[in-house]
Amino acid sequence: MFIDQVISADSIPTLAAAAKFAAQRHKLLLSNIANITTPGYRTQDVSVKAFQNQLAEAVQRRRDEGPGARLELESTDEVRMGAGTASGMTLTPKPYGTNVLFHDRNDRDFERAMQNLTENAAAFRLATDLLKNRMSILEAAIRERS
Amino acid sequence: MYGSLDISVGGMVAQRMRMDVISANLANRDTVLDANGEPNPFRRKLAVLRQGDPMGSTPAARELGVHMGDLQEDPAPFRKVYDPTSPFARPEGDPDRGYVYYPNIDPVMEQINAVEAVRAYEANATAAEVTKTMMAQALRLLA
Repeated sequence: MFIDQVISADSIPTLAAAAKFAAQRHKLLLSNIANITTPGYRTQDVSVKAFQNQLAEAVQRRRDEGPGARLELESTDEVRMGAGTASGMTLTPKPYGTNVLFHDRNDRDFERAMQNLTENAAAFRLATDLLKNRMSILEAAIRERS
Repeated sequence: MYGSLDISVGGMVAQRMRMDVISANLANRDTVLDANGEPNPFRRKLAVLRQGDPMGSTPAARELGVHMGDLQEDPAPFRKVYDPTSPFARPEGDPDRGYVYYPNIDPVMEQINAVEAVRAYEANATAAEVTKTMMAQALRLLA
């Protein structure tokens, strides 16, 4: 299908993967904030850098395969791709705390938790805004006017 | 995004319940009698939060949320005040004869815990705001 190629060829699948990752990671960051006073809780996260590498490799592979190729992300132990959830992406977090353990065995870090939340929301916003841009370009092409 | 708000709301509920327990401790700071009128001072209560929210309506909240696990009593000894004329003073033959037992509550500790609970509540409220913004952005894709 022509429309399928238009949608799966350019930056749209890349942006969609980035938005999915940010939305899934958002839940982990919320959990860290919700459990900020839970005794024994350890800060959970996944590596953003590892996901970016994973995405970059997938983009490179698609480029090497030539026109018509689809963007296929390979699963890692933290980011598993494929069916099972609605978004097709499952995150398996690990304890990522860098702070000292408090007396209640919690390694809370208020500032880092809020920083991660803000940065992740900004990444989500970037991805959705760029997606919206791509969509309006397509829309303009469909209507044959700018 | 689905289920994200649930996590933050669960966190707010847990912190509010913790605040209720702190208020109860402060209110009962000088309670020497139990509900039956017996000299049995109020014991300080502790809200212990636990990971995961069994009341959550989404899998995300049940796994990643938080809930008030149980209400524990502080085993610390009661505060003793020497007042032999009080009708609630410990009787003859007691090692603490003439002392009145008061609840083991330190208002300073309660205030500190209250500030922590309020800040954690605020953090959850801010996180819920962020989630709402992200939802609005995702919705704008369709509009």
